[in-house]
Amino acid sequence: MKKPNTSKEEWPFPKSRMGWLWENLEGSRGLLIAAMIGTVVYNVLQLTVPYFSGRLVDLFLTGPDAVSNLRDRRDLFYLLLGLMVGLTIIRSIIVYWDCMAYERASQSALYRIRNFLYDKIQRQDMKFYSTYRTGDLMTRVTGDLDAVRHNIAWVIRMLIEGFSLVAATAIYFFYMNWKMALCLLSIAPFIFCIIFLFRKRVGPMHANLREKLANMNTIAQENISGNRVVKAFARENYEIEKFDECNTDYKETNVKTSMVWIKYFPYVESMANLLTVIQLLVGGLFLIKGEITMGEYVSFSGLTWAIANPMRQLGNIMNEFQRFTAASRKVMEIYYSEAEIVDAPDAISHEGRFEGLVEFKNVSFQYSDGKLPVLKNVSFTAKPGSTVAIMGETGCGKTSLIHLIPRFYEPTGGEVLVDGVNVSKYKLHDLRSAIGLATQDVLLYSDSIDGNIAYGDSNITHQEVAKYARYSAADEFIAKMPEGYDTIVGERGVGLSGGQKQRISLARALAVKPSILILDDTTSAVDLETEKEIQHSLAELDFPCTKIIIAQRISTTKTADQILIMEHGEITESGTHEELIAKGGYYAQLVKLQNGSEDYGA
Amino acid sequence: MARNTYKQDESLETPFNVKHLMRASVYIKKYAAQMILALFISALGGITALCAPIIIRRGLDEAVPAGDTQLLYALCGMLVGTFALSVIFATIRSRIMVKVSQNIIYNIRKDLFEHLQKLPFQYYDDRPHGKILIRVVNYVNSVSDMLSNGLINIVLEIMNLIFIVIFMFAVDVKLSLVVLAGVPILAVFMFWVKNKQRKAWQQVSNKNSNLNAYLQENIVGARITQIFAREDENAEIFADLSGNCRRTWMKAVGYSNLVWPGIDTISVLVRGAIFLFGLLIFGQGNTSLGTIVAISSYASRFWQPIMNLGNIFNNFINNIAYLERIFETIDEPVIVEDAPDAEQMKEINGRVEFENVSFSYEKGKEILHNVSFTVEPGESVALVGPTGAGKSTIVSLVSRFYNLDSGRILIDGKDISKCTLASLRSQMGIMLQDSFIFSGTIEDNIRYGKLDATREEIENASKIVCADDFIRRMPDGYETEVKERGALLSQGQKQLISFARTLLSDPRILVLDEATSSIDVQTERALQKGLNAMMKGRTSFVIAHRLSTIVNCDKIMYIGDGGIMECGSHEELMAKKGAYYHLYTSQMEDIA
Repeated sequence: MKKPNTSKEEWPFPKSRMGWLWENLEGSRGLLIAAMIGTVVYNVLQLTVPYFSGRLVDLFLTGPDAVSNLRDRRDLFYLLLGLMVGLTIIRSIIVYWDCMAYERASQSALYRIRNFLYDKIQRQDMKFYSTYRTGDLMTRVTGDLDAVRHNIAWVIRMLIEGFSLVAATAIYFFYMNWKMALCLLSIAPFIFCIIFLFRKRVGPMHANLREKLANMNTIAQENISGNRVVKAFARENYEIEKFDECNTDYKETNVKTSMVWIKYFPYVESMANLLTVIQLLVGGLFLIKGEITMGEYVSFSGLTWAIANPMRQLGNIMNEFQRFTAASRKVMEIYYSEAEIVDAPDAISHEGRFEGLVEFKNVSFQYSDGKLPVLKNVSFTAKPGSTVAIMGETGCGKTSLIHLIPRFYEPTGGEVLVDGVNVSKYKLHDLRSAIGLATQDVLLYSDSIDGNIAYGDSNITHQEVAKYARYSAADEFIAKMPEGYDTIVGERGVGLSGGQKQRISLARALAVKPSILILDDTTSAVDLETEKEIQHSLAELDFPCTKIIIAQRISTTKTADQILIMEHGEITESGTHEELIAKGGYYAQLVKLQNGSEDYGA
Repeated sequence: MARNTYKQDESLETPFNVKHLMRASVYIKKYAAQMILALFISALGGITALCAPIIIRRGLDEAVPAGDTQLLYALCGMLVGTFALSVIFATIRSRIMVKVSQNIIYNIRKDLFEHLQKLPFQYYDDRPHGKILIRVVNYVNSVSDMLSNGLINIVLEIMNLIFIVIFMFAVDVKLSLVVLAGVPILAVFMFWVKNKQRKAWQQVSNKNSNLNAYLQENIVGARITQIFAREDENAEIFADLSGNCRRTWMKAVGYSNLVWPGIDTISVLVRGAIFLFGLLIFGQGNTSLGTIVAISSYASRFWQPIMNLGNIFNNFINNIAYLERIFETIDEPVIVEDAPDAEQMKEINGRVEFENVSFSYEKGKEILHNVSFTVEPGESVALVGPTGAGKSTIVSLVSRFYNLDSGRILIDGKDISKCTLASLRSQMGIMLQDSFIFSGTIEDNIRYGKLDATREEIENASKIVCADDFIRRMPDGYETEVKERGALLSQGQKQLISFARTLLSDPRILVLDEATSSIDVQTERALQKGLNAMMKGRTSFVIAHRLSTIVNCDKIMYIGDGGIMECGSHEELMAKKGAYYHLYTSQMEDIA
């Protein structure tokens, strides 16, 4: 196998491509090796069958004693005929088994890598998600990975096939006449040179092509997800142009890549054809000189294809191999990527419920690609069972703050503690299982409403699902739907209004009976009547829980045990509704504003 | 209308028929000239290649026995020339066909994408997006070779086959029939494989589509997965989907891989039969040895193109599973489209009338029943009412995102169903609940509203909607790259950007659907000034739960029970002491 590292930059992964493949072939390595042996066997058979049919023709048809042979040596006739037919059938069976063995081995590696990649991706942190776009990741798991599968199922087989044909034929040729064999094989180095040059040229092209494919996937992906905005702005033509650009780009790169091969193809093809010319020239001269017999010449010419075809095929194989090289690199990039936020080696397991004490101690936070701090010295304590409301201007850091609790990000300074222990000391799974978060940007799955609410705990009963839907004031509208809880909602919950989506998302967060419930502006699109209902049921949950609620509405926050006002990443006011009104600061002003009419509060 | 999920295979509406290949011919026709040229060149190449054996035979029959090295050299020279020619022909063919096949994919993909742009929301709402995506990207890639080189090779192989059959019959009819006796066996075999294979490959495409759907949803929803700590369960589901892909694939290739060894076996049986029949049954007297040799060599030549055809056939069966999915999408009916005699909507003045409008998303479940109202130019109308009452539906209908069940909607007295969609929608400014942000810079996102906007216009729009301030605080200001879905922006910031985008588009009719729900009250207050300026002179529809944002609207409509329950100004409705009064006072109580 070729060494994978062709680029000047250092190979960034712990294993070479082939090492990586080998590792993932675990469980089917034996099968793959058997398949490779099988390839050698059927190719050798392929070379021997013509021998028997040749003998058959010589002895019983064209030979000088054909007539008498046919009369006297019937047994041999049947034997040769039987061998010819029998061996071909055996070969067919081996070929079938062999192809299937490669398929099986490649599928098992594909299955293993695909599942591994999926798991890797879903456990990544937010930094990863802001680096890789959805369309790009999908290309890696599907198209790029398919090139890896193809490498095992086809490239390896063709390589073995080529080598075994050439090797067996070469041995046979040398055995018959070494001079003639040498002359014929003398072109091999030239072919290898050409293929080597081709490989150098086409390698980067394939890398480029994979990029273009990912790019096209990304554009199409965003277009499909954003189809509402596209229509709202009647930007279909603009989108078509945008897509056309990457479609054209992909096409042209494809053509260019193929053209590289077409450039080298005439040389390779000519070299392969040269074999026949050499055969006639050298063979003819040898015949004239009496170096070889006519029979030997025929044997040579009957097997020329066994050397010429693999040579022709080599370019193709190399092309596919380069595709694999480019694609596998992209796959391995994800395969070996490491999330920064992972369980600490000495992480504590935490079984059962948390008390629900949440503390921020001088927490500062800045996004790794941001220039300004998002949170500065934030400190507060949410006692078990209490409700903390967070308010503040758009973009003041509220969402960033709550994202630190389930450890979506690590604070750049200070500590976030749950039950008195730094969140980074818990196992992520334990910590996050204890938190129910309803995000701002509601994302539902294309599944039944029941399935969506039970997302965090698929073991809960329908009764429980309905209970949490009632808590979230969603029961009524769900019951009115044609199939009730079995109604399938589209991706991102389209088909539901914003308020309905938010309520399902709330029910989903409640359904895990979290010790800490975080609501990130979850009721913004819910009408006020309904919101009141929700507030009411949140106060009477049948499990103890600390609530941290981001909200814009005073109605949501006024009953909170503690209200935090944030401004540019800092907590500027804190206290109860009454305390803050008395203080006459931002909150008091907010209360005034929310009334909307100037006479109120005046 | 059942929505599709990742768990569910998509049933294929239309069974496969030749129609699909005929459909594909549209794409091929465009390149017919090139393809015929390529075919012609390939045929020339084939004929050239036939010269080689003749030259070689002359060498062995004439030059060698005579010991004529001069002739041998000359013949070798001719051989080189012949090969050179055939290489040139082959190269030219490849050059042509690479372009043709890539152009065919390009065109199919282009048509598919363009059609997708016309499809209604429902299409996108009814199936996981990953299932749409796989058709545009992966499936189209698969069919290219079949529609270009596949076709040429079929023609070449069939021509080849016909020649061989003619030669064979010319030599000996009886033995030829023995050769052809293999064909019915082959036909039965292929027919059996074909049926199995087709179903199997359809399953493969279904399972891959399901996997893609799940993958896409979970990449987009990674944060949800993590917060619910559901990774293990998801991994299991994925492994299950992945296992289905593997299982169906193995089954499908299990059939596909049968073709080649199958033909090989049949061919060797036929060759064996020739020897047996030729020598033993027909006897030496009737059949000359030469004939048997000739027929047996033709027989093996006869099977070569058949094997090649078998391979191409395999490819076809396998790819038709994809092709039919592609055409299914291209054939997906466009529900809302320009009427044949649609006119351009002139610059909208802003009078909007609903005349007995009834509408339902699903048959029998009317959302709106006989709704009629009129909005005068420049008026602002607020829609209030419980979630799910149909507020968003009303505003979607103004932009004609859906067709009505009955009734008419008129803008400036003109039925909107008689206007072109582009001329209508380009004059509407719609701010949706879900403010979708594209990846790219903030500037690009705002510019989406007006593609030729200058930087100054963009900044002005941002200032009016109070977005300028936070944008300037971003690491690269307006050039800050917002990641996919605006991952670095808060929901409120996304709404502000989407506001600026709408403002920039300078719409004649403005629709704000919960456009300020995630914006804090302070900002909203400041925004209100800009908003007032924006609404001035424009007919506008506002949906908001925060009543403070709508009390100043000219008209407030309370939507419920499939229609308008109350309509009037804030004061009028308050005086009426109905549903709106109730809503408003409860909100005020809350604040107090």
